[in-house]
Parts: sequence; C-alpha cells; structure tokens
Amino acid sequence: MSKIKYFIKQSWLLIASSLFFGLILAVANAAWAPIMEANKIKKLDGLMAVLLPEAKKFQLDEQIRLESPSGQTRTIDLYKAISDTGQNIGWAFNASGFGFADKIELVVAVDTDFKKIAGYEVLSSNETPGFGDQIKLPWYLSQFAGASVGQLQLERTGNHDKIDDQIIAITGATISSQAVVNIINNTLLPLKTQMQQKGLLTGGN
Amino acid sequence: METEIKPTKSVYTQTLTAGLWRENPTFRLLLGMCPTLAVTAALKPALTMSVAVIFVLVCSNLVISFIRRQLKPHLRILMFTLTIATFVTIADLFLKAYYPTMSEELGPYVPLIIVNCIIMCRAEACASKNGLVISFLDAISMGAGFTVSLCVLGVIREILSTGAVWEIPVMPKSFVPWTALRMPVGAFITLGLLIALMNLISKRKTATAA
Amino acid sequence: MDLFTTLLLAFISVVLINNLVFTKFLGICPYLGVSGRIDMAFGMGLAVTFVITLSGTLTFILDHFILVPLHLEVTRYVGYILVIAGAVQLVEMYLRKFFPALYDSFGIFLPLITTNCAILGLCLFLNIWGIDNVLEAAVVSFGAGIGFTMAICIMAGIREDLELADVPEALKGAPITLITAGLLALAFMGFAGMVK
Repeated sequence: MSKIKYFIKQSWLLIASSLFFGLILAVANAAWAPIMEANKIKKLDGLMAVLLPEAKKFQLDEQIRLESPSGQTRTIDLYKAISDTGQNIGWAFNASGFGFADKIELVVAVDTDFKKIAGYEVLSSNETPGFGDQIKLPWYLSQFAGASVGQLQLERTGNHDKIDDQIIAITGATISSQAVVNIINNTLLPLKTQMQQKGLLTGGN
Repeated sequence: METEIKPTKSVYTQTLTAGLWRENPTFRLLLGMCPTLAVTAALKPALTMSVAVIFVLVCSNLVISFIRRQLKPHLRILMFTLTIATFVTIADLFLKAYYPTMSEELGPYVPLIIVNCIIMCRAEACASKNGLVISFLDAISMGAGFTVSLCVLGVIREILSTGAVWEIPVMPKSFVPWTALRMPVGAFITLGLLIALMNLISKRKTATAA
Repeated sequence: MDLFTTLLLAFISVVLINNLVFTKFLGICPYLGVSGRIDMAFGMGLAVTFVITLSGTLTFILDHFILVPLHLEVTRYVGYILVIAGAVQLVEMYLRKFFPALYDSFGIFLPLITTNCAILGLCLFLNIWGIDNVLEAAVVSFGAGIGFTMAICIMAGIREDLELADVPEALKGAPITLITAGLLALAFMGFAGMVK
C-alpha cells in the first residue's frame, strides 16, 4: 500500500492538474466546435458561390472515389448547386494535386451536364509569390471559365482572352500553370465518367 | 524552504521593462526563433502570433507561479509542458473559431508555441521562483518585447516585399517589390541584420557611457 | 515497386525540397546557441534523427488509431508533446544504460531535444500533408531527421570557416549565422520542382 501512497504523494499535482486542464480543454472545445464547423462550411460555400452565383445553396450529394493511374484512391466530395427554384444548376467539388512547391487544393465548379467549366478557386497553395502565385489571379482564372470539360492544353503564348481549350501559361511559372491544368484534367474526366456510370448525369455524353 | 525577498518597487519596473530592450527575447536572448522567421512575412500574422504568445505566456506564468510551492523537482518539466500545451490548444481553438483565415495562414506555427523556448524558459527561470505579480509582469514584459520584435520584422518585410503594411498600400506605384523578402531567404537575412543593428547600437551606448 | 517509388519521392521531398530548416524554419533555436563545430552538429543531428523518427511514427499511430477514432482531436497537441517527451526520455535511458560514453558526449543536448521545434513541427506536418500509412510516416520522419542533420552540418562547416574570416564585430555570432542560413535557404530553393 505504501508504494501506491508514495506514487500518489509524488504525482497528485500532476493528476489534479491533468484533470483540470482536460476539463478546460473540453469546455473550450465544446463551446467553439460548432463555430469551427460553421467556418469550414462557410468557406467552401463562399468559394463555390463565387463560381456559381445563381446557386441558392450547395448540397453534399455524394462522395466519389477516384482511382489514379498509380493506384492511389482519393475521395471527392461532390456538391450539387441548387438554385432558388430547386433546380440543379451545376456541380462543385474539390480537386487537388502537386504544384511546384507543395500541394495545390482547388474547388472547381462545372455546369449541370459536366460540359463546361464554370471556373475554379484556389483553396490552398504554396506557390512562389509573384510567379506561381498568379494562379490565383483573375486573368489566369478567367481562362478556365467557359472552357469545355476535356483535355485542356497549356500553351506558352497566345491570347488569354479567348475562351477555348488552350490555357496560356504564366510567364516564369510553367510548372504551376501546368499543375492547375493537370489537376483539372485529371479530376474532371474520371469524375464525369463515374457520374455517368452512376446515372447522376441526365444528359448525353 | 528558501525565503522569498519581498520585491521592491524598482524590481517591478525593472521586470516590466527588461523584455523590451535589455533582455529582448528575440534579439538578445535569441529565443523563439522558429515562429519569428515563419510568421513575419507580413504584419497581420506577426501581430496575431504575438498576441497568442502573450496569452499563453501570461496564463502559464500565472498558473506555474500559483502552484510553484507544490512542484516536485523531477516532475516540473512535465508540469510546465502540460500547462503550456493546454493553453496553446485553447489559443489555437480560439483562432480557429474566430479568425479562421489567420489560423490557416499561421498553420502549424500556433501549436509550435508549445516548444517556443521563451515560454518554457520563463516558466523555469521566473514563474517557478517568484510570486504572482512578478511572474505576471515578467510575462507581460517578455510578451511585449516579443511583440515589438515580431512587428518590426513584419513591417519591414511586408513593406519591402509587397509595398503595403497591413495590406494597405504604402509605397509609391513605381516601387518594385523585393519579393525575396517574403520567402525564407528574406526572413533569415532580415533577422540577422536586425540583430547586428541591435548589437551595434548597444555597443555604441556602452562606448559612450564608458 | 510503386510503393517504393512513393516512399523514395517522399523521402527526397522532405530532405531536399521541403527541408525542415531552410523552408519551414524549424530547428534553428538550439542551433544558434550551440557552437559551430561539425562534430557536435553531426552528433546533435543524429540524436535528433533518432528521436524524430521514433516520435513521428508514434505520434502518427497515436493520432490515427486513438485520437481520431475517439474524436479526441482536441488533445492532439498535448498528446504529441507528451509522446515526444516520453520518446526523449526513453532514448536517454537507453543510451545511459548501453552507450554511456555516447550519453556523456551528448550532455545537455538530449533533454533539450524535447523543445526542438523540428520534432513537434514534423509531427504536425505529417498531419497536414495527409500521410495516411505508418510506413510513409516513418520514412518521412526519418527523411526529416536526415535533412535536418544535413542542414546543420553544412551550416556548422561554414561557421567553422567563418571563425577564420574577418567578420565585423556587430555581425559576429547570431547575425552572420542567420545570414548564412538565408543564403543556404536561397540555394535550397533550387531544389523546388524536382519532384513532379
């Protein structure tokens, strides 16, 4: 019994304070967890609203598993964009891949039939400021708005106001530009195929 | 049990001002370098980090000082660690809830406050040996010094690398930003030069005083 | 073969491209205070590598199999730092028993490793980078340690040479070390984009 007594004598403060700290952590977490959840949803919603402004709300429809050629699976959260009349006016989802420096995370929106891209926004990226960072700028973003879902090609020079399958790269940041094109290509096409298989797309090919 | 000397008024003021210049944690004591370099790319994250550190410093100093007579010597580091980790978690949760964009920008550097040498050192060197008031003043003083150094670094790096302070443009349109200062290079070199500047100034001070 | 490629790329990425010291600013604190001799730097680097590999793997297991399933994420930081402190304690006891000479030469470093930003930083980055299996966690942790060792050995080597150079008074000590680190960070930026 004396061994336990010694143990308690030495560590009662540790045990008492652990309980106390555990308590305040639990209280803080309980108080703020709902706000943190709301923040996450607000952020995603805010980005998607920029891409599909007519949407009244975004509803999580399905979680699609995509397999990449190297055998890795990733889960895509597919959101249905609902207008105020209750119609489906598009789809939004997250897509990610490797950029120049680090992982790039995008949220991409497409129209109802998965034919045209509504655009993308950057959720997080760590590209070189002033160079790869330009993937966040309007002039690069707008090249994707209205482009068709298919194989987008990166070109070094050209007219970036023309909306077609050719995306003009950022000068001095080819890898970052290519990364965004790759992410969109590699996510959209497999996603479209899976959705057609599941019968989520009503239109034809 | 050692007797504690009743602190005089001058000890209070000394403690309060020590952290600002003489014992500035960043430039003199060279503590807490990791967050200093990582979050000072702009003024906003620098200030957010400083406030978080002040919060943790004050809370942990007060708690440690409160229980200082009960601390068993071989368990004290564990106690410090537990205390600091708890308050850092609270600060992190608070930021995640009310300032989510800033929390994302600061990323893992908020939990890294736990291993920020400043807090551990002050707990060991000051809070575990002094009363509540002195510990509180010490926390405020070190925190203030840390804030000043972080903000100075943040302002310099932000102005020169983006031409703006707190995202408000300050430099003329013709200014070509030194983007390198936003990256790790800039962080290291700016901090190095600032410490050198401080060394120079104090050397001059002691030379003229002599 | 594919698993091997993934692991190899992850290893190279954390040693060169995302080097903890030059891109994430971790592990500088103890280095600035320690003298700039290569053998001491190498010793500290080895100790850190050992502890970091152990801690990285253990914290990953803790997070993946205990914290997340039980929704105890709020205790993540407390749990991580306790695991790290425990790992350092284990290493200390092990060294003291079986390699006393090595233990003596480490001196104050070993307990100081607990507060090394690099270790907790790596455990947190494992979370952020979305590593999802134990093997990858172990390899990345090991790589982080190797990267750290490499970084401080390079800096120690340069510092040794600097002692023979004519450094201005104000720059002696921390300032010139930091400027050196900055230039090295610039050099390491050249590795970015290596892994596609």
